[in-house]
Amino acid sequence: MTTADVALPGLDCGLCGFKLCADLAARLPAQPELLERCIHLAPKPTPSTLPQPLPKREGGETTTLPRPLPERERGAAATTVAAPRRAAGQALPVMPRAEVEPTWQDSLGREFDFYLEHFPEEPGPRETILPHNPLLTREMEIKVGDVLIGRPLGMSCGCPITHCGVATEVDPRTGVIVWCVTGPLRPRQEGFKDLGYYSAEAYDGLIRKQRPEVEVKIGMRYFFQPRMCMLQWRHSGLVNFMNRTKEGLQVRLEGLWIG
Amino acid sequence: MAGEPRIYFDNAATTPVDPRVRAAMAPYLDGCFGNPSSLHVEGRTARAAVEQARRQVATLVGGPPGRGIFTGSGTEADNLALVGVARAFAGQPVHIVTSAIEHPAVRETCAWLAQREGVSVTYAPVKSDGIVDPDEVAALIGAETRLVSIMAANNVVGTLQPVRETARVAHARGVLFHTDAVQAASCLSLDMQRDGIDLLSLSGHKLYGPKGIGALVCGDNVPLTPVIHGGGQERGLRSGTENVAAIVGFGEAARLCSATRGEEAARLVQLRERLIEGIRARVPNAYVIGDLYRRLPGHVCLGFAGQEGESIKLMLALDEAGVAVSTGSACSAHKASEPSYVLTALGFDALRARGALRITLGRFNTEGEVDRFLDLLPRAVGTLRPITTRAGAVAGVCS
Repeated sequence: MTTADVALPGLDCGLCGFKLCADLAARLPAQPELLERCIHLAPKPTPSTLPQPLPKREGGETTTLPRPLPERERGAAATTVAAPRRAAGQALPVMPRAEVEPTWQDSLGREFDFYLEHFPEEPGPRETILPHNPLLTREMEIKVGDVLIGRPLGMSCGCPITHCGVATEVDPRTGVIVWCVTGPLRPRQEGFKDLGYYSAEAYDGLIRKQRPEVEVKIGMRYFFQPRMCMLQWRHSGLVNFMNRTKEGLQVRLEGLWIG
Repeated sequence: MAGEPRIYFDNAATTPVDPRVRAAMAPYLDGCFGNPSSLHVEGRTARAAVEQARRQVATLVGGPPGRGIFTGSGTEADNLALVGVARAFAGQPVHIVTSAIEHPAVRETCAWLAQREGVSVTYAPVKSDGIVDPDEVAALIGAETRLVSIMAANNVVGTLQPVRETARVAHARGVLFHTDAVQAASCLSLDMQRDGIDLLSLSGHKLYGPKGIGALVCGDNVPLTPVIHGGGQERGLRSGTENVAAIVGFGEAARLCSATRGEEAARLVQLRERLIEGIRARVPNAYVIGDLYRRLPGHVCLGFAGQEGESIKLMLALDEAGVAVSTGSACSAHKASEPSYVLTALGFDALRARGALRITLGRFNTEGEVDRFLDLLPRAVGTLRPITTRAGAVAGVCS
């Protein structure tokens, strides 16, 4: 097909960057490649296989469209899908969350032993981190409540994603910071201090669900999936603290690796 | 850039209210306060304003006059379309075909229908260019399919869907077709009657109108059961006293879009191309996500090869520099832990699915703002920590 054969749609939609189809047509002889900008002419998915357009509706009627059954035909079938009748004022039943057994595989198909959840009273997963230059903690005057961003780098859980969080403990002597990782909204709203690179030294959290055959023991290394991990990649770490609580098994993991 | 006005490049999240819209609304916030259901002069004045807005909204999308139902949002319009049609077929099996990249207003409503009302839902896949193939949709339609719901334009990537072709395949099988046109309506030439759209959702604040107002425009004889019950407003399909001022603003916003749509689309495409060319020249590892031309005129979705994990930092750096952009749908900005399900559906891995920067231009953006942004962007990108020290070298892989 040459540009001379082309009949532009005449919609003057502007999506090609020209106000009028005539403006595009005038440029086509010199720049035939502009034709691909017309989304109405650009190749559509197998147009020959598409059914022909419906005949123009007259009086708004399209007889091919489905219609609901008349009331009398709904009959008993309707009761099989309807919610149970409720007495006036009775609250709707709470929809139970389906308890689906996890596959125990991460987003790359690798197996893991348990999910690590964050403490319910905290805004996000609790991590113990160390800036790659620990002096930064003092130089930047980081204090509890500061909103921080940085990227984990190096042997300890290097991750390609920038993390944001709120400092909950600060040790100016060692540079160690404990923070809760949160989303980007807080730094956007409150401003932030940029740590640059940091090492993730430890995770604290709860195990509420684990692979049935796995027994978590102190001193042992496990594959685990941080519930809020942005990439849903498994991590591994050594359990060096355990405490059974009503919310789940509280653990601390150190010696962290991704994978 | 202290003292410079901020640049708002997040028009897909919401658009500023056009001053002409605000002026149209003003009388209905003050003197003309009547209830449109009242029979006295005040009520009839309000009723006339609502009906004029209904015609203006219908005109915008080529819908039958008088068939728009005003709702509280685009999300409510989607809910009414999906739940309303599903319930209209109560007692019969109901199957809905939708896509993997729909806005949560459709996606979550479909999930709810499946969980609570026994509706079966099939999600059509999307190609890597962000387009849902009508043939794929056709293959998913079965004997129990009552509705196909495919968005007109995607909010994250900006790609335009072949709405007319998809409506044809739905109608060929006797199935209703709904489209969420919330992102598309301000600049895309939609015509419900020409394109075979039975139900179409709109939102006021995405077309330079006020927030808190939406509409579901229905073709004739579309079976629909109300979701909100009460005084029978909106032809019994959406009870509740009409939000007259917002409806008037929505109508005026629709009128303005109808009047300038082609011209404005062309202007935005030119701005978008200036932006893309400028970014390519200044940031070699940038790549555009989604089809280059089959996209909303003002919509650019970018990735930065090797720096995808830093999109949050880039957004923050740009925000600090005075530019509002988005790292994805604003509706999901609080769910920072999840990669974009839209980009995942396009085949992006978990890292790249987090790395998109969405820049969306609108009516009030200028060439000068694009140029200022192009000056700012390399500096902001330069502050990012690349995951590899050869980030530029991988750009070709991802382009």
